[in-house]
Amino acid sequence: MAPKGNTMRSEQDVNRAIGRYADTIRRICMIYLKNYADTEDIFQTVFLKYVLSSVSFESEEHEKAWFIRVTINACKDLLKSFFHSRTVSLDEAMEQPVGLLEDHREVLEAVFSLPQKYRDVVYLHYFEEYTAPQISSILGKNVNTVYTLLTRSKQMLREKLGGDGYE
Amino acid sequence: MNNGIKESFGSIHAEEELKNSTREFLVRKTRGYTKAVRRKSRYHVCAAVCACLMFLLFGGRWLYFTPTAEISIDINPSIELSVNRFDRIIAVNGFNDAGREIMEALDIKHKTYTEAVGQIMDNEQVEALLSGNEIMTITVTGSDGKQSSKILSGLRACTNGHKNTHCYRASSEDASAAHEMGLSCGRYRAFQELVRLDPSITPEMVQDMTMREIQDLIDSLSEGSDNGNDDAGNVDDEPMNDSGGCGNGNRGNGNRGQHGHHGHHGSGGGN
Repeated sequence: MAPKGNTMRSEQDVNRAIGRYADTIRRICMIYLKNYADTEDIFQTVFLKYVLSSVSFESEEHEKAWFIRVTINACKDLLKSFFHSRTVSLDEAMEQPVGLLEDHREVLEAVFSLPQKYRDVVYLHYFEEYTAPQISSILGKNVNTVYTLLTRSKQMLREKLGGDGYE
Repeated sequence: MNNGIKESFGSIHAEEELKNSTREFLVRKTRGYTKAVRRKSRYHVCAAVCACLMFLLFGGRWLYFTPTAEISIDINPSIELSVNRFDRIIAVNGFNDAGREIMEALDIKHKTYTEAVGQIMDNEQVEALLSGNEIMTITVTGSDGKQSSKILSGLRACTNGHKNTHCYRASSEDASAAHEMGLSCGRYRAFQELVRLDPSITPEMVQDMTMREIQDLIDSLSEGSDNGNDDAGNVDDEPMNDSGGCGNGNRGNGNRGQHGHHGHHGSGGGN
């Protein structure tokens, strides 16, 4: 899992990582980005970073958290960049994944319609099942802030989706 | 919150095309996982651009604000103009009160030296002094011989037609010696001439005399110790050469007989 000395990681390592984390990265890209070209850019950035990184991972969990953090940072950097459009159109975002069921589409639309700061917290908590302290360390936010974001996002999602079946 | 969110996110998968294009990119970028070619991050690009801008800014500032030549103008008002490599005036120093007074009336900073000298020649006070038979000496010093020569010929063209005006060129060593004594370059040159005739003369005595008074003193002293020179009325202009200096003292009396056609302007020539 760790690179030997200062050499880069092997192709096998990379293929294993792509197999394991590509879906996670794709989901985070959907939260942040509006088009496929940007997603492609993030994939290249994140996996190149992985190839060249000398970080030695203690466990799979550690590795996964690393990928999540690096992907979120890469997305934020891309959005911050001068020439990049900062708005994420919901329609455009929903155009990306194909073959979604109507139910799933409705839920994702509700999540993506939340303000940016709630989306990654919702994803990390409800899908990745991270606790608030874990999310706070991944996002570099205060634990109490994460609790507040979670509570508010829960309220907003309930309003959008209706309480039934989402509680 | 509920399984709905989990299932919905779970239904999103990375496209095979995306995975493959990433694999291809990595193979290309690492040359088949043999050589690490670091991707230039935006921060590195930004840092490089900033460094270039800083270099241009400070380099440009240094280029513009480093004086490469000085023009010293003496009547009694003494003014020194610092000229940069682009022939622009970057600083003006008044060497005495009269000089500072004239300096305040002028707006010559960042103008070319020809414009600056033109303005000085047109200054009422300067015009009055020159028509009152005062002498104006303009001395060019600089480390760059080519630029000094160019400035000197430019100034000669500028002062052409004004009587009692002399242009010289001096070495930067002489300029430093002059500044150490608290004299402007033109005045230092005359002082050297005086000391040669009368060693008891001090820089302080010269400091407040007008160039005309200094010239008259030189004339009277050289008449007193006449050495057969029949051209005592004129202080010669320095021939335009690289070794020319403020220090006339090195030239010896014999040189005074030469007419300095190179730098001599005006019909009066000091008389």
